[in-house]
Amino acid sequence: MRIITKVWLMLVAVALANGAVLAASFTSSLDRDTMTLGEQATLSLKFEGVQPQDAPAIPHIDGLQFQYVGPSSSFSFINGQTSSSVTYSYVVTADREGQFTIPGMRANVGGQMLTCGALRLIVTKVNAPSAADVATGKDPAFMKLSLPRNKVYVGEPMLGRLELYLRDDVQGINGFQLTSSPTDGFQAGKASEIQGARRRSQVGNRVYTIIPLSLPLTAVKSGQLTVGPFTANVMVGLPSSNQGGDPFFRQFFSQTEQKQVALTTEAINVESLPLPEQNKPANFTGAIGNFTMTATAGPTNVTVGDPITVRVQISGTGALDSLTLAPQDSWHDFKTYPPTTKQENSDQFGFQGTKTFEQIISPENSDVHEIPALSFSFFNPDDGQYHTLTQPAVGLTVKAAGSTPLPNLANSKPATQENQPAQDIGPIKEKLGTLSLNSTPLIAQPAFLAMQGVPVLAFLAAFVWRKRTDNLANNPRLRRRRAVAQLMANGFADLKKYAAANQPDEFFATLFRLLQEQLGERLDCPASAITENVVEEHRILRNAPPDVRDALREQFQLCNQARYAPVRGTSELNSVATQFEKLIGQLQELKA
Amino acid sequence: MKLNCRSLIADCRFERPLRKLSGFLVTLVLAIVPATNIFAADAAADFSSANELYAKGKFAEAAAIYEGILRTNGLSASLLFNCGNAEFKAGHLGKAIAAYRRAELLTPGDAELRANLAFVRTQVQGNTLRESRWRNWAGALTLNEGALLTAVLFWVAMGLLTVRQIRPALTPKLRAATRLVIVFVIFSGTVLVLQAANHFASSVAVVTDGEATARSGPFDDAQSAFTAHDGVEMRVTDRHDDWVQVSDGSGRIGWFSKKQVEVSPGA
Repeated sequence: MRIITKVWLMLVAVALANGAVLAASFTSSLDRDTMTLGEQATLSLKFEGVQPQDAPAIPHIDGLQFQYVGPSSSFSFINGQTSSSVTYSYVVTADREGQFTIPGMRANVGGQMLTCGALRLIVTKVNAPSAADVATGKDPAFMKLSLPRNKVYVGEPMLGRLELYLRDDVQGINGFQLTSSPTDGFQAGKASEIQGARRRSQVGNRVYTIIPLSLPLTAVKSGQLTVGPFTANVMVGLPSSNQGGDPFFRQFFSQTEQKQVALTTEAINVESLPLPEQNKPANFTGAIGNFTMTATAGPTNVTVGDPITVRVQISGTGALDSLTLAPQDSWHDFKTYPPTTKQENSDQFGFQGTKTFEQIISPENSDVHEIPALSFSFFNPDDGQYHTLTQPAVGLTVKAAGSTPLPNLANSKPATQENQPAQDIGPIKEKLGTLSLNSTPLIAQPAFLAMQGVPVLAFLAAFVWRKRTDNLANNPRLRRRRAVAQLMANGFADLKKYAAANQPDEFFATLFRLLQEQLGERLDCPASAITENVVEEHRILRNAPPDVRDALREQFQLCNQARYAPVRGTSELNSVATQFEKLIGQLQELKA
Repeated sequence: MKLNCRSLIADCRFERPLRKLSGFLVTLVLAIVPATNIFAADAAADFSSANELYAKGKFAEAAAIYEGILRTNGLSASLLFNCGNAEFKAGHLGKAIAAYRRAELLTPGDAELRANLAFVRTQVQGNTLRESRWRNWAGALTLNEGALLTAVLFWVAMGLLTVRQIRPALTPKLRAATRLVIVFVIFSGTVLVLQAANHFASSVAVVTDGEATARSGPFDDAQSAFTAHDGVEMRVTDRHDDWVQVSDGSGRIGWFSKKQVEVSPGA
């Protein structure tokens, strides 16, 4: 790659040095100036000595289509003179015959304005091959259009037939495309090949492969109508005319050349007739073709309001898509629901098959004894007559049901209807109900989530309470400590009461008892066993702070003295009570 | 009541502002209560007139009134149900399915609603989302009903546990009941979590724009990915501004403008 670039640069440098680079130019050309409708021509826009950035835009020309193919470039170095060019190619196709002019174009390349000349292109109409041409096998391919008849009724469907003939030496085709298919006054479907119908046939002196295509057509207006001429374009592979060399090798290495062939058919005139008004049945809804009808209804033993399914099958040939069942006027004693339809085609165009109508009806009173006769009318184009098919009435037993409501198809499932699909939606609701503006789900509302914490907190509180209660029950010392603490709290109040009432006997008796209870709890011994001696004898009190020991001794002595020399006066008793309360506090802090 | 309020605040040093505030609140309450009733009465009247239009076969007009009530007065299951009916009769499969789906969030057990939704779905062409069996099963209760049921069971379970702490003597008698309720709590809680995940993390887009073209990216100029018919339901897999990325019943992925679809929670 690098070598190629160097060579290229060297050549350009040499050319510039010689001053022999050709002047810039812009030319346009067509590979042919005449073509038939359906063929393609190639337009080339050539730039010499300059390199445009983009492909030039082609002006719009009515009747011609341009499709950009791509660029190609060339470089030459002859006798010291260099030249380079870029060519942009376009495929040209025509929509109609006529004489067209491709105008001169201007291109701005690197600030240099270049122009090219106008071109003329003549597009001629393609004629269907003559019988002589067909007989001699002149054309490698041709096309034929045929219709089953030249007289149709408005709304009558028919299948047109398009046949592509390929000469026996054609080795393959590619890109078959209908370029024009005028079907004025007809509604045309998509042409498609009839599967498995290819055949070979002798035509004149040559054998042809015939590929048949079907084209569904339905006349939509009356009068003289024309179908065609259809035009198409196809690439055929033919043996190369330039095949030199050894015939032995030629049979193994045969070459083919692609040839573009424009095809056209003859136009066919068709007379489209309006449907006759004479003898037209009242219940005719536009069905055209040839049909048969079967109908069933069930159940036939019902209560007023019960649903009955009427199933009507219409089979035959005709426009099944547009087939409808006329309203049955004789069903006035029944509530009817819109029918559902199902279509089963036996051909690919929907012109043959069976259409099934299912209708739910329900008797509105018990006087109904039969489902009335059901009729269907159609127009048969083969004999030009209207026909009416009738199914006889079906006997019905209807029982009264008092206030039995009409069936709600969406809701109720009677035993006989269990496997029947719903035919329509259920009725609307009469009551509005409660309107709600807040559609936030509960679990996204903080208040709702917070509320779920209440039972959790209640449980945790009960759990803690239970633990504390259990601890107390399993710990006698703790229980005694709490009982003594409660006793002290009550005792302090009693002491103050006795002090206020100046009752020294009761005061000191209570004080001594409280002192025994508190010391008994601290020392873990019976309260009755507590005397003044424990201050000196018990290990805990021996290790107690001296002021506590002194206060204890003092309290015991006060109790002893009170027996012999009672203390008098409320203030004195209050002072003792205060000291006692302080002592009890100190004792409760002692480690047991 | 007003006099009592005044006497209570008479000695307060903020008497004047409080009196103003209480007056404002009383006025507000007196204004809001009748206004609410007026709005409800208007909605009921509009609802009835829409029902009459529906009965006369003027489905598009009825649908417009139902939607007006939804916009201004709030929603109810009946309103959404009727709106779905009117949209279906007017030929708007997607809007009908979207309304039914919203109604299903409020009353998932409504047999008529389920039947209508199932019927409308049968009319939809193309690959549409089919809810899995467990989603249908979990959707038998609304999210709120599931939350309330779980909350009640949870309160009962915690109540039994609390009673057992307070009255240990009852523990043997309550043991079986407590275990049973706890099992129910775990079960309904699991279902609720699945429901909530489906509701909040999963959304469904319903095509409401006739034949809508999905794009390969969230912008108008993106290449066409596939086309979905009116009423096709698809799982929402991503969102970007006014675009939602969806996956249809056959696994194709594409972006729809929010104008083309209506997005609703998964259940």
